[in-house]
Amino acid sequence: MNILKLLADLAAVDSDSFERISGRRVVLASLGQNGRRAVAAAVPLALSGVLTKAYGRRSSTVLDAFSLALTLEYLESDFYTQALASGLVFPGTTKTVIQAIAKHEQDHVTFLQRTLRESSVEVPQKPKFDFTGSKNATQPALFADVFSNFSTFLKVAQLLEDTGVRAYKGQVENLMTDNDLLEAALRIHAVEARHAAHIRGMRRALGANVRYWVSPLDEDITTAPTAPVYADENAVKQAIVTTTDIILFPLDTATGVVTTTKEKAEQSIREAFDEPMTETVARRIASLFIYA
Amino acid sequence: MRRRSFFRVAGATVAASTLVLAGCGDDPKIEPTDTGTVISIGDGENGLLNYVYLLEQLEATFYQKIVDAKPAFLSAAELTAITDLRDHEVIHREFFKQLLGGNAIGTFEFNFSTLTLTTRTGVLEAARLLEDLGVAAYNGAAKLITTKNTLVLLGKIASVEARHAAFIHDLLGIDPFADVVAATGADAGLGPALTPAQVITAAAPFFLPYTIDVSGLPLA
Repeated sequence: MNILKLLADLAAVDSDSFERISGRRVVLASLGQNGRRAVAAAVPLALSGVLTKAYGRRSSTVLDAFSLALTLEYLESDFYTQALASGLVFPGTTKTVIQAIAKHEQDHVTFLQRTLRESSVEVPQKPKFDFTGSKNATQPALFADVFSNFSTFLKVAQLLEDTGVRAYKGQVENLMTDNDLLEAALRIHAVEARHAAHIRGMRRALGANVRYWVSPLDEDITTAPTAPVYADENAVKQAIVTTTDIILFPLDTATGVVTTTKEKAEQSIREAFDEPMTETVARRIASLFIYA
Repeated sequence: MRRRSFFRVAGATVAASTLVLAGCGDDPKIEPTDTGTVISIGDGENGLLNYVYLLEQLEATFYQKIVDAKPAFLSAAELTAITDLRDHEVIHREFFKQLLGGNAIGTFEFNFSTLTLTTRTGVLEAARLLEDLGVAAYNGAAKLITTKNTLVLLGKIASVEARHAAFIHDLLGIDPFADVVAATGADAGLGPALTPAQVITAAAPFFLPYTIDVSGLPLA
C-alpha cells in the first residue's frame, strides 16, 4: 500500500470516529488480512495510533453479537430479579447462590451496555418478559408455576443458562476481529457455564436425573417449544478441519479414547463438548419469554 | 506475518511504553535453571494447541491417579463422577493429540508431590486448582488463536471445563463463585483470563524437573 494513498484513505474516514472511539483495541478490521499486512509493513510507527483510532470502529458483526448477548442477559437478569421478588421459597442455601447469579447477570448487562454505548451503537431497550411463557396471558403458559414451584424455576433457569452458554459459543467466531471483546465474551461464557452447572447441581440435589454437564443421560425437561435448547447438542464426532481435509474425531481406529465400553465412551464424548447455537435459534428461544 | 510481529508494529506506541515501564524485572520469558530440562512448547497456532494439549494431559493424568487409587474418603457416587471427569479429560487430551497430528508434543509424566492426595479436601482442592486454572487458561488463549474452526473447538471444551470446576466447588461445599467471578470493577461479572505464561507459572510444580518454555507463543 502506498503511504500517500493510505493517508488519503485516512482523511476519508468518518471524522467523528476519531473522537468517538476511546477503546484500546487494534482492530483494523475493515482493511482485511492483506490490507493489514500492507499497513503493518508500510506505516511508520508514529502513525499507528492514528490508524488504531481511524479503524477502531467496531464492525457491525461484532456489535450484532453483543446486541444478541445483551438480549439474553436482559432475559436472564430479569428472570432472577422477578424470581427473587416473587413469593418463591428458596430451600437451604440456594437463595444466596441465586442472588449471586442475579448479580452476575446484572453485571453482564452493564458491561454489554457500556461496550455498545462506547461504540456509539444504540443500546437495545430491555424487552418485557413473561417467564410463564404465556406472553402476558395471551396464550397457554409453558411454565405456569415458574415462580411458585422451585423445581419449575430451576428447570427454566437451566434452560436459560444452557442457552446462554451455547449462544455465546455461537458468537465467538464473529468476535475474532476484536480480541478485547472476544476475550470478554469468553470470560462471560465461562461464568454462564458455571451458572448452568450450579443450577443443574441444585436440581440434582432435589433428586432430578441431571448432571453438571450436558449429558445424553439427563432427563428431558424440554417440550416442543424448548426443544431447540438441546437440539444438536449431543454430537458424537467432532470435525477437525485441516487446510486440506476434514477429518473426524475420534477416528474409527482410535483406541486411546475408549476408556471403558464403546457405549460409555460415546456418552462421554457427547458430554465432553458443548455445542454452539446460532443467533436465529437463540433468538427463537428468547422470544418464548418476550411479549413486548 | 505472525500475529506477534503484527502486534509489535501496529501497537507500537502502547507496547513500547509498556516495555519501558516494565523494565527488565518483569520479563515474561521463563528463565531455565538447568538448560537440560527446558521444554519448549513451540510457537504459533501449533504452540498454542500444544499448550492446551499439555494442560489436558495434566488434568487427565491427575484424575487417572485418583481413579486408580479409589480412595475410601470418596463415596461411590463421587468416584463415579470423578471417573466421568477423567473420561472427559482423556477425550480432550486425545482430541488435541489428533488435531496436532505430527506436531504434537510427547506424553508427559507429571509431578504431584506438592499435592496432598491422602485427604478428601486435598484431592478436591487439587482438582479445583486444575479446573479453575484450565478455565482461565482457555479464556486467555482463545484470542491468540487465528483459525476460526480451532477457536470454535476450544470454546466447545472451555465451557465443559467450567462445568467441571463448578462441580468441584460444590463437592467442596465452598462459595461457588469466590475467586472465579470478579465482584467489582470494570470486569465485574467476568471470570478470570490468564496468559499462557501465567498458567505455566501456576502449574510449574507439576512439570518438575522440567520447565516449560512458552516464550514462543503469540502474546496478542
